[in-house]
Amino acid sequence: MKKRPSAALATAALAALVAAPAWVSAQRVKPVYVGARVCGQCHSGSGMGNQYSVWLHSRHAQAYAALAEPESREIAKLSGIRQEPQETFTCLGCHSSGANAEDWEKDETFRVEDGVQCESCHGPGSEYIDPEVMSDPQRAKAAGLIMPGPDTCDRCHQEKGTHIAVLNSPVLDVKEGLKKIAHPTPENPEMGGVPEYPAEAPKREGPKYIGSAKCGECHRGRKSGFQYSKWLLSRHSRAWAALGTAQGMKMARAKGIQGDPQRAPECLKCHSTGYQEGAEAFAPSFSIDEGIGCEACHGPGSDYSVEAVMMDPLAARKAGLKKVTKATCMPCHENAHGKPFEADLSAVSHPSKLPDVAEEPRYKTPLNMALRPGTKEIWVTCSGSDSVILVDASGREKIAEIPVGGMPEDVAFSPDGARAFVSNLFDDTVSVIDASARKIVRTVPVGDEPHGVLMDGKGRRLYVLNSISDDITVLDGATLKREKNLVASRRPWSLASSPDGALIAVSHALSRFVPFRKPSRAEVTIIDTGRGVVEDRFVAEGANLLLGIAWHPSGDFALTTLNRTKNLVPMTRLLQGWTITNGLAIFWRDGTVDQVLLDEPGMCFPDPTDVAITPDGRYALVTSSGSDRVAVVDLRKLIALIQSSSPYERRHVLPNHLGKPTEFVIKHIAVGRSPRGVLILPNGETAFVANSLDDSLSVIDLKTFKVVGSVDLEGPKVITKARLGERLFHSAKITFRRQFSCHTCHPDGHIDGITYDIEPDGIGVSPVDNRTLRGILDTAPFKWEGTNPTLRRQCGPRLAVFFTRIQPFTPKELSALEYYISTIPRPPNRFRPLGAELTEAQRRGKEIFERKYTNDGRLIPEGNRCITCHYPPYYTDRRRHNVGTQFQFDRESDFDTPHLNNIYDSAPYLHNGIAHSLEEIWTVYNPYDKHGVTNDMTKDQLNDLIEYLKTL
Amino acid sequence: MLAKLVWPAAVAGCLLAAPARPEALPYVYTHWKQFTVKDGLPNDHIFAVKVDGPRVWIGTEGGLAMLDKRTGRIRSWTEKDGLPWKVVSAIDVDPKTGDVWLGLFGGGLARFSGGRFDHWHQLNSGLVNDVVYGVAVEHENIWAATTAGASRYNTVTGEWTIFTEKNAPMEEIWNYTVTYNDGKVYLGVWGSGVLEYDVKRERWKDYLDPDGEMEIDLYRDDGVVHVITTGVSYVDGILWTGSYFGGSRYDGRNWRGYFNKDSGLPSDFINFVKARSANEAWYCTDKGLGVITDFKTNTWVVYTRDPEKHTGKAVVMRDRDVLKTIDTGINIPHNYVLCADLDGNDVWVGTSKGLAWGIGDAYYAGLREQPESEPQQRAGGE
Repeated sequence: MKKRPSAALATAALAALVAAPAWVSAQRVKPVYVGARVCGQCHSGSGMGNQYSVWLHSRHAQAYAALAEPESREIAKLSGIRQEPQETFTCLGCHSSGANAEDWEKDETFRVEDGVQCESCHGPGSEYIDPEVMSDPQRAKAAGLIMPGPDTCDRCHQEKGTHIAVLNSPVLDVKEGLKKIAHPTPENPEMGGVPEYPAEAPKREGPKYIGSAKCGECHRGRKSGFQYSKWLLSRHSRAWAALGTAQGMKMARAKGIQGDPQRAPECLKCHSTGYQEGAEAFAPSFSIDEGIGCEACHGPGSDYSVEAVMMDPLAARKAGLKKVTKATCMPCHENAHGKPFEADLSAVSHPSKLPDVAEEPRYKTPLNMALRPGTKEIWVTCSGSDSVILVDASGREKIAEIPVGGMPEDVAFSPDGARAFVSNLFDDTVSVIDASARKIVRTVPVGDEPHGVLMDGKGRRLYVLNSISDDITVLDGATLKREKNLVASRRPWSLASSPDGALIAVSHALSRFVPFRKPSRAEVTIIDTGRGVVEDRFVAEGANLLLGIAWHPSGDFALTTLNRTKNLVPMTRLLQGWTITNGLAIFWRDGTVDQVLLDEPGMCFPDPTDVAITPDGRYALVTSSGSDRVAVVDLRKLIALIQSSSPYERRHVLPNHLGKPTEFVIKHIAVGRSPRGVLILPNGETAFVANSLDDSLSVIDLKTFKVVGSVDLEGPKVITKARLGERLFHSAKITFRRQFSCHTCHPDGHIDGITYDIEPDGIGVSPVDNRTLRGILDTAPFKWEGTNPTLRRQCGPRLAVFFTRIQPFTPKELSALEYYISTIPRPPNRFRPLGAELTEAQRRGKEIFERKYTNDGRLIPEGNRCITCHYPPYYTDRRRHNVGTQFQFDRESDFDTPHLNNIYDSAPYLHNGIAHSLEEIWTVYNPYDKHGVTNDMTKDQLNDLIEYLKTL
Repeated sequence: MLAKLVWPAAVAGCLLAAPARPEALPYVYTHWKQFTVKDGLPNDHIFAVKVDGPRVWIGTEGGLAMLDKRTGRIRSWTEKDGLPWKVVSAIDVDPKTGDVWLGLFGGGLARFSGGRFDHWHQLNSGLVNDVVYGVAVEHENIWAATTAGASRYNTVTGEWTIFTEKNAPMEEIWNYTVTYNDGKVYLGVWGSGVLEYDVKRERWKDYLDPDGEMEIDLYRDDGVVHVITTGVSYVDGILWTGSYFGGSRYDGRNWRGYFNKDSGLPSDFINFVKARSANEAWYCTDKGLGVITDFKTNTWVVYTRDPEKHTGKAVVMRDRDVLKTIDTGINIPHNYVLCADLDGNDVWVGTSKGLAWGIGDAYYAGLREQPESEPQQRAGGE
């Protein structure tokens, strides 16, 4: 375990870091967390109203352990969290104290496993725990003691959709809740303490008691069956505390015990561990307040607790590990307090292997494919199962499945087909697979949320598109060592090599940043593979969501799929089929860009996702994930149409003309649900389409353009609520003439980076920035104006009225959709993994985020501090505020406080997306200090603040 | 342009008396080309020049230009072409990505990548100030010397770091120039001498004028000649610096000062310095281009243009002694020289009246003995 500095050292370290006028610094000594057990040293005993025991007995003390319960996992899932709840800040933020604190901000006495401790409400205590300070309320407050009010509870106890959905728990009645945890200080308080073990006990030798927390260092987590958490949740862990309750007192009196039961040997024999053995039997790490700990049954653990000993059962026994039987329980439980005892060990059983629970079906969700050179193996990335599935192109059957990293997105091969490269979106890695052995031989870290991956034709470099950090990691083809990062546009998506291998074209899902209320501009980046640098950047005006990309065999042009979103006018043109149009862009080698639509007046072609071109260059196949179809584009006709059009027509007519597609789309082929990737075999006879939401590949004969078969990827056949919701999310059936789906504006549940003028209240009135759906269920209300209290309302009536103009989802569908949206994964923060220390800049930024005083020492009103409205774990108070950002055409002045988790991945910012960077929120749009007091800050302080914000 | 050998009597008369044995002389650039707005530059005030393989990037008061040496074509960008700010005061090129980084005088920092300009300024980013005098690429960091401190931008993490008096030995924060080479970033600071940042150790070291802020060099060779630093160049372990009061050379142990009074430096008012080696550095001054070509012998070549006549000359000097004067025809377009970059054997020089390309086909380093009867190279130019 990492050694932590003492509180005093930590305080000094922080004080040294804070750059502020001396007298301000003097006031801002940073308190650190000491843990509830330190508080208990004084707040025990009847003279203090047994406050410590009240806490030990509360659910607050078990809050961390509760995260081991199966329900917590379900809640986490509904929060978009794939990790263990005990290992994610979002959960720990309300289930423990100091979750966001660095190691140095916690004294050695602090334990996160103690759950929600005194300092969660009263503030970190290092500076006020001194009895002398605590005896003077004013002084204690000055030293950081907080006397909480109902608002304090709200920070965690606001209504949470996730918890209601799983636990069906009512919203906390704060008044009632406060009664439950009431721990008033008596009028004439007399500080007590946790009793010591009797020193007069006979001297003994042998192993010592080390305390359950020591056991918990190993016996934690899923691999150990959450044994430590199970103990924390048991009544054993509260056995000593029980003596401090009224009931405990009553029972003691009934047995004729006078005085404090928590100090009465007769009680302590069975309400603490090894009491009768005396002080010498206990290591300093042990404290009587843990009640009946592990060692009460298993024997003192100093000798067997060593991992190497514990791994050898015989050695452990020799070292004192006792076998627990009913007889172990009897001395304390037999007829205790006149109650019969069944000796049912199951009540406290804690097997290291968790009982088998029917796991929720894991779908495959195939996304993209690549043919392994020199073979007939099609490799399919399966985002749902974290695997790559191999399909025999001839036999049209699944032949293997290789587990890879989290949410694999794309796959590519070395030119000789020996190595496969799989981008793992959730893990920020690329899995390198020995393609013959079908085994991962290496995992290479890359940028944030890698998407497309491709090796150049000579195997010199591997290019990986980092879709959140907006850059391209370039790895040496042989060593896979990172050479450099190339700058992309926004959300680079997929790549295609030119036929001669000289160039690679990169598509981007998001438009470049454009001035406020200007049309989108989507980029294709051209990489010179010889030098490994960006050669050129072509722009499709008015377009966004350039996803699939393919280079024509002639090398003359590349095709990308595109959307043309009419976001600058209210969404009232749905009847004309002109709200979001879908099509193709043709990027000519000289930089000229043409655009055509694939929509037709009666039936649109929503969410064009991938494109592939036949080897003879005659046809292009385009998938529409929103309408479960593939369009066959006759490229000869398309190019002829373009070449016969005037420059004006090419610029203004073709990109918007719904009547033109009939001139070059020769067929629509119905395939499986939500087709994503499309792959044409080199012989030009067959194409495969990855149907992401029914775990299959459709096989298309390219002579007849008919589906001639299907490959079952062997996903679960049952359709869960989440899967149904996922299908609804990705389907455009809900929209008038199938123009778009939820996925269109929230590609894969995230953002499209566009500011929309949604409601028919006039052109340009109340524009709103699109917000992410990742992990949003607990951030209600929704919409920037906070008008939708639930996702159901948002996705039900509101969707029908303002977006889809068609019959809304049925209640069943709506429920499934809400469920799915809630589970959209929220990737871990890339700037600060859980438990990581902050950088110096981030640390200084945190100080600013939590500051109470301006640089010149003025008190910042509480309502104007960052932390007041943006408090953890979501960093939102879920209320509306006027932060001075109402513009001329905004209806409202008060806007919903956005959550700040992973804020770096969802630019632009503010309700109307007018701020392209975090800096602009304050440098440009906070002139009157309404959005926090920031104008006194120096430039380097603002930089520090932003570095910290990126860690949230 | 002059294309013939010119040894007019007047010039010949200026030559030193013939030595007993052939004089060892430095290479003199006699083949020059000039570029101005007539050739396609957006402006004749050339603030920055940077060679990037076949491309020469030129920062002017009115925009950015790129001269393609393969075609001789000049392409330019102004604000209407997307250049975020018209005054381009500094240029550096990322050798790995090919991205061109631009310091914008009053406009912040820009990246030109694949034809796209990205723009950072003090309102939309962590850049400390928009008046950017210098820019340097250090691995994946971009350094900007600004009038309010230095900024470092990490292109991978997006983190901005500001260096001012708070966290660097920067007595003044007006940064005039920044350069990176061989693990060290050097800042030239107006009033704070030269600051050295060791990238690996993340440590600062300052070089100040031991004489204090005086316009005289009280004790010779005791440090930088003055704290108003305008140019820094670090090559082969040698630090060359320039100030408005003379230049300096530092080998890690010993300093050497250069002044107009005792060297070939045409003026103590130095705008920029660019070193080729431990022996050779190009000083851009307000009165011409002074090149120390051999450190050991303090041999210089001074290039100036005759403002009255359509010609220019190169004067070979040792200390203050003139060894030889060569009529080069027009060399630099103006004697107010602002910047220079070296390009293999060639040199590019920016002045307040256009750009010059010195072509050094027969360039040699240091000194060579040359028969008196055969001039080392043709005099004259195009």
